Amino acid sequence: MKMSPELKQAQENMAPGVITAEGFLGTDRRPLVDIIEADEEKMRLFEIGFEEAHEKMAYLLKEGRRGLGDPITVDDTWIVRTDEARGFLPCPFEDGVFRKVTATVTRRETDSEITFSELSLHLLEKHHFLQGTGSSFRIEPELLKETLRL
Amino acid sequence: MSPNIHPVVLLFASIFTSNILLANFLGMCSFISISKDNKSSNGLGLAVTLVLTVTSAVNWVILEYVLIPLDIVYLRYIIFIIVIAAVVQVLEMIIERISTPLYMNLGIFLPLITVNCAILGISLFIEIRRYNLVQSVVYGFGSGVGWWLAIVALAAIRTRTDKAPVPAGMKGPGITLVTIGLMAMAFIGFSGMLSVQ
Amino acid sequence: MDALFLIGPLAIAGISAVLAAVISIVDLIVNNYGECRIDVNNGKRELEVTGGAPLLSTLAENGIYLPSACGGRGSCGVCKVKLLSDAGPILPTELPYLSDQERADGVRLSCQLKVKSDLKIEIPEELFAIQQFDGVVESIRDMTHDIKEVRIRLVGPQEISFKAGQYAQLVSRPYGNVKTAAQRAYSMSSVPSDRRHVEFYIRLVPGGVLTTWVFEELEENEPIRLVAPIGEFHMRGTDACKICVAGGSGMAPLKSIVLDMYEKGLTDKQVWYFFGARTRKDLFYVDELQEVEKKWPNFHFVTALSEPQPEDDWKGEVGLITDVLDRYLKEKVGQDLPKEGYLCGSPGMIDACVRVMQNNGIKEDKIYYDKFA
Repeated sequence: MKMSPELKQAQENMAPGVITAEGFLGTDRRPLVDIIEADEEKMRLFEIGFEEAHEKMAYLLKEGRRGLGDPITVDDTWIVRTDEARGFLPCPFEDGVFRKVTATVTRRETDSEITFSELSLHLLEKHHFLQGTGSSFRIEPELLKETLRL
Repeated sequence: MSPNIHPVVLLFASIFTSNILLANFLGMCSFISISKDNKSSNGLGLAVTLVLTVTSAVNWVILEYVLIPLDIVYLRYIIFIIVIAAVVQVLEMIIERISTPLYMNLGIFLPLITVNCAILGISLFIEIRRYNLVQSVVYGFGSGVGWWLAIVALAAIRTRTDKAPVPAGMKGPGITLVTIGLMAMAFIGFSGMLSVQ
Repeated sequence: MDALFLIGPLAIAGISAVLAAVISIVDLIVNNYGECRIDVNNGKRELEVTGGAPLLSTLAENGIYLPSACGGRGSCGVCKVKLLSDAGPILPTELPYLSDQERADGVRLSCQLKVKSDLKIEIPEELFAIQQFDGVVESIRDMTHDIKEVRIRLVGPQEISFKAGQYAQLVSRPYGNVKTAAQRAYSMSSVPSDRRHVEFYIRLVPGGVLTTWVFEELEENEPIRLVAPIGEFHMRGTDACKICVAGGSGMAPLKSIVLDMYEKGLTDKQVWYFFGARTRKDLFYVDELQEVEKKWPNFHFVTALSEPQPEDDWKGEVGLITDVLDRYLKEKVGQDLPKEGYLCGSPGMIDACVRVMQNNGIKEDKIYYDKFA
């Protein structure tokens, strides 16, 4: 499918070393627009809304901040560790800059775990982009549903 | 032989009675998308007028002095498109230099003028109707002004319809197409008044 | 084969060639902005440059370095410059980063503004001191499991002068899958008196472009480029008691400041340095600072672990650095002394420490921290 110049630029910005060392596409060779479409389909399949996922993840990230870099228990259900490094990360879609805040959320009962950052949250909410397969920050819908109890 | 129509008559005909957008329905896609912003509509209208005037003249010259003498009129589709693409490229460079905000506002729609069917359509109409040079340039310029008029009018109407309580399913393209249809019906009133061929 | 057959393709080729020539000529005329003059800070510097490129890179080519977090892509809003002449309307790509006041003042993003005519601009005075340095990596030492000390010998220019506490932007090179260079900011941990070297403490950030390059690619004796000195974090010369807090690689500017003060003999000032970490293996440079503590009675070095492990055999303070700080401010640091705060660490830690300091009577405008984060 033909991509607009903005999407092409975003895909270029997602290459390794442009914004992050690993990039946002992992080992995925598909064009960006196909990745987004396939993931939108997956989220529909698992009946997860992008807004509701974003709300939950943003809440957990905020609560995790109270630990000042160390893991804390949130709502008796999750262990959240929110870490922050200095500096900013620009969004590959060139619509904002984000602090380097990363949260690792583990659900106590099942031990399932997801890792996401402020930037990957923005990519999920505004661009429906969950990152390419093989990326260490990829948000897999199935794992998301299980960990967040959506 | 070229039809016996006075250039001034042709000018008014191409702007009002045979408006390329509202009577012939050519040049729709950027018409619908850019008309949501008044400033860009104005800028695009100007750009389309410039492209139409220049390409009408250039294509007529190539038709008369290259295609017909060499008996390769069947190549007109390819040649006309190449000329249009080149003219749009030059226009892009000039607009970027003169007014960078306009260049950025138009975005992808500036190079898309190349595939605007109104541009190729005008050149082909000129060929079919066997206009002479003056008639071609006037027709091209007039059609551009007509396109400009239509997009500015639609942009003005859309500032109203955007605030009106339109049912959710009709919002955006839906109500826009209905509006264009109504505009076209209004212009049908002109049909037959002035002839273009 | 009939020769007439070729007329069609030849006609197309001929017309295309003519049009291509026209496009090239117009390109040459339209995109040639000629020579432009840029007046910086009302005559302090005047540049003659070839127009057409963005202001940010044009200035960098002429030795004036405006800060940029995104390398000129228009996604960080850091490269602001004040325009005293008219250069056309503000571009849509600049609007999200400019406040109404800035727009009224003529502030623009230098990475989006193309140099098309003569310009008069105004930049902060400190930026004139920033230069580009080429150096050689003299040593890379592991300080903790995720912090390396990188020491660089300067080659061109050979000497640097900076204030203790300032930072530099290190430039990485393409390697492996990474095709572009990147720049990131790191505080200098070396003392200003050592003008031939600069030293950094670099903590590995998972997925970070530059830290990954330092940890995986960079080796001793390799060349490296940096832009320095930048920043307004440095010790103020007042008589107030200095309360410094840092964690992890935040040690860097404070190490530079403490050693610099000791060298310059400013030992009459009270300085408290709180260094927080999780376990013993996250601590480093402790022995050296404890040596300074012995020689400088007014310098107090307090280390605290938030989660000491049994094998750490830890006898020092325990708890979050903010709690330890709070306790000391209430019990151990002289109550009657005016105090200033100096912080270096993650934004979360800084926010928490600022709150603790304010609760203990230190005013917000007397708390200093590196704002480049």
